[in-house]
Amino acid sequence: MATTEKQDRFIVPIGPQHPALKEPEHFEFTVDGEIVTAATARLGYAHRGIEKGSENRTWIQDLYLFERVCGICSHIHSMTYSRGVEKLAGVTVPPRAKSIRLLAAELERIHSHMLWFGVAAHEAGFDTLFMYIWRDREVVMDLLETLSGNRVNYSVNLLGGVKVDVTPEQVDAIRHGMDKLEKRNKHYLKVVTTDKSFLNRTRGIGIITKEQAKILGTVGPTARASGVEREIRVNAPYGAYKDYPANIILDPTGDLEARFVVRIKEVLESCRLIRETLDGLPEGELTTRMPRRIKAGETISRTEAPRGELFYYIKSNGTDKPERIHVRTPTICNMSSVLVTSVGHQLADIPMILVGIDPCFSCNDRMVVLRHSHGDTEEWTWERLRQHGIEFYR
Amino acid sequence: MKQLQNILEILIFPSGLFLIVLGLAYNWIDRKLVARYQNRIGPRWFQPAADLFKLLANEEIVPDGVNPFLFTALPMVGLAGALTAALYVPIGGVAAYSYSGDLIVTIFLLSLLTICLGLAGSITIDRFSLIGAVRTLTQLFCYEAPFLLALLGPAIVAGSWRISDIIAYASGHTWLFITQPIGFVIAMIGLMGKLELPPFDAPEAETEIVAGPLTEYSGRGLALFWLGKAIELVIGLTLIATFFLGGMSNLLVFFAKTIGLLLILAGLQSLFARLRIDQVVGLWWRYGAILVLAQFLVMIVWKGVF
Repeated sequence: MATTEKQDRFIVPIGPQHPALKEPEHFEFTVDGEIVTAATARLGYAHRGIEKGSENRTWIQDLYLFERVCGICSHIHSMTYSRGVEKLAGVTVPPRAKSIRLLAAELERIHSHMLWFGVAAHEAGFDTLFMYIWRDREVVMDLLETLSGNRVNYSVNLLGGVKVDVTPEQVDAIRHGMDKLEKRNKHYLKVVTTDKSFLNRTRGIGIITKEQAKILGTVGPTARASGVEREIRVNAPYGAYKDYPANIILDPTGDLEARFVVRIKEVLESCRLIRETLDGLPEGELTTRMPRRIKAGETISRTEAPRGELFYYIKSNGTDKPERIHVRTPTICNMSSVLVTSVGHQLADIPMILVGIDPCFSCNDRMVVLRHSHGDTEEWTWERLRQHGIEFYR
Repeated sequence: MKQLQNILEILIFPSGLFLIVLGLAYNWIDRKLVARYQNRIGPRWFQPAADLFKLLANEEIVPDGVNPFLFTALPMVGLAGALTAALYVPIGGVAAYSYSGDLIVTIFLLSLLTICLGLAGSITIDRFSLIGAVRTLTQLFCYEAPFLLALLGPAIVAGSWRISDIIAYASGHTWLFITQPIGFVIAMIGLMGKLELPPFDAPEAETEIVAGPLTEYSGRGLALFWLGKAIELVIGLTLIATFFLGGMSNLLVFFAKTIGLLLILAGLQSLFARLRIDQVVGLWWRYGAILVLAQFLVMIVWKGVF
């Protein structure tokens, strides 16, 4: 505590329990008055051992496990996983299934971006905008529910195809929803670029230059808002994106405003993609046969999640269970940019900068690293972690 | 008989119980209006009362490292300040007491709550409270002078620092918000700053410093501070309505004018993103203070010429 013991640093802790964060993660911001002079992060509060857990499950069970890596972008995880496994098994997914996967992925992107938009408006203290956006987000949530029956974990994917079909009525509903969303998002684009009180909190704040964005390895909308051309849908098109190419949305400014603009424009771009996909929806099968055991080998699978590049490394040893699966989520790539950019800013801007990368903490928690009082760090092995867990809950 | 009437005036009407009920009612109207502006449904009519009783029944936790006496006394002093200020303001049409210079006393009693809030934040060792307290006091220094000047505008044209004289002047002349528009706007915005309503809620910005100075408060202390603010809303609205909207004669006029002002206040609350504390300082001293001073100059020259 700052006043009880003599300290020359005043540290403001944010998290693991803090109203600005919706998930547990700990940040320490050293402040001088209102100005932040240093920032550190401690990750790992929501580590769930999913990668290790996947090794004890079959390939099919793992599909459902990976769908639950992220609560917001669940579809993209199961899609990336399925694509990797299908590549290993040498199976080609029918074209209609590919299109439906794209459809779900883009609807999910709209939902994720609008969710972020609302949260970011709330961090800026603009609750009216927050409420309006979340009201409009219900449109896409309802569409996802019509499509799959679920609002959060849609469970659209299967190994070798998709589970749900799109009926003509659903096509009409989605088209109708896209019209509404496009109209609303064009309005919001106007709000974030013209509203004076909101621009006070976003324009010129939290600037990540193009060089910084490259060096820090940022991905997704965070990188694109700094003018870095990183977009897997464009750089390395996958699935139905080969037939319906996405346009890259770039903004060279790199401040918070640019991050708003890029994400809203991406929502508009998603609306366009969804319309094109619906226009050219191919007829045919939804699934193909998948072998229960996957041939030995290893592969990588990359997709563009709403937050940026999602990377799966999958290794099979020829059995019905994977040998190793590694997941790299976009948040972990963007995290360092927060710590770098927050220095020199006001404390009031920190929640905005932190939320500006659209963090999803439970996705990025990997391994517990302990910091001892004498300074060196120690990694916990899986065995030790497991033992700790057993003893903790005994 | 006179003493009984005095006691009733303090405890029941227009001060005391009536004021507390009014504070809860206006708090509800404010919350409901903001909710409707934000396309939400908003709380039910008894929600503020439910909040108050629930908080009063809660355990009050006194954290380590604070002076327990100050910690429990500050909310009471703050609330007492707000309740005392109401004695001189024509709540419901009539003021309980009146003497020369009661306007200045009222304005300073209203600031007592903010000062108590700042002190309550600074006596704890919680970092969010400390930052919140610094921001609360910074904001106090920002809006206080322009707010005071804005309310002194009507006093100057009325030629008296007695609230009842100003009421008499205001009801006899053109509504002052037409002749002193800048003063009216500054007073409204100053009230928002005083009550730490959005967009001036940097001192209790939830996403940065949790609840600001009130972070360590629970139970009774929190309830009293909260009630104090609810009452200040009523007093502030009454003052502005009286001065700028042509006086105050009976209950009906009182409700019509104050609720009318509350409509505007709720609209302003839902229109803007939160200002940073440096932006608040800039807004008040770069624009607010200078505008209100300019209006003063015009008024004095006008008074001198005619």
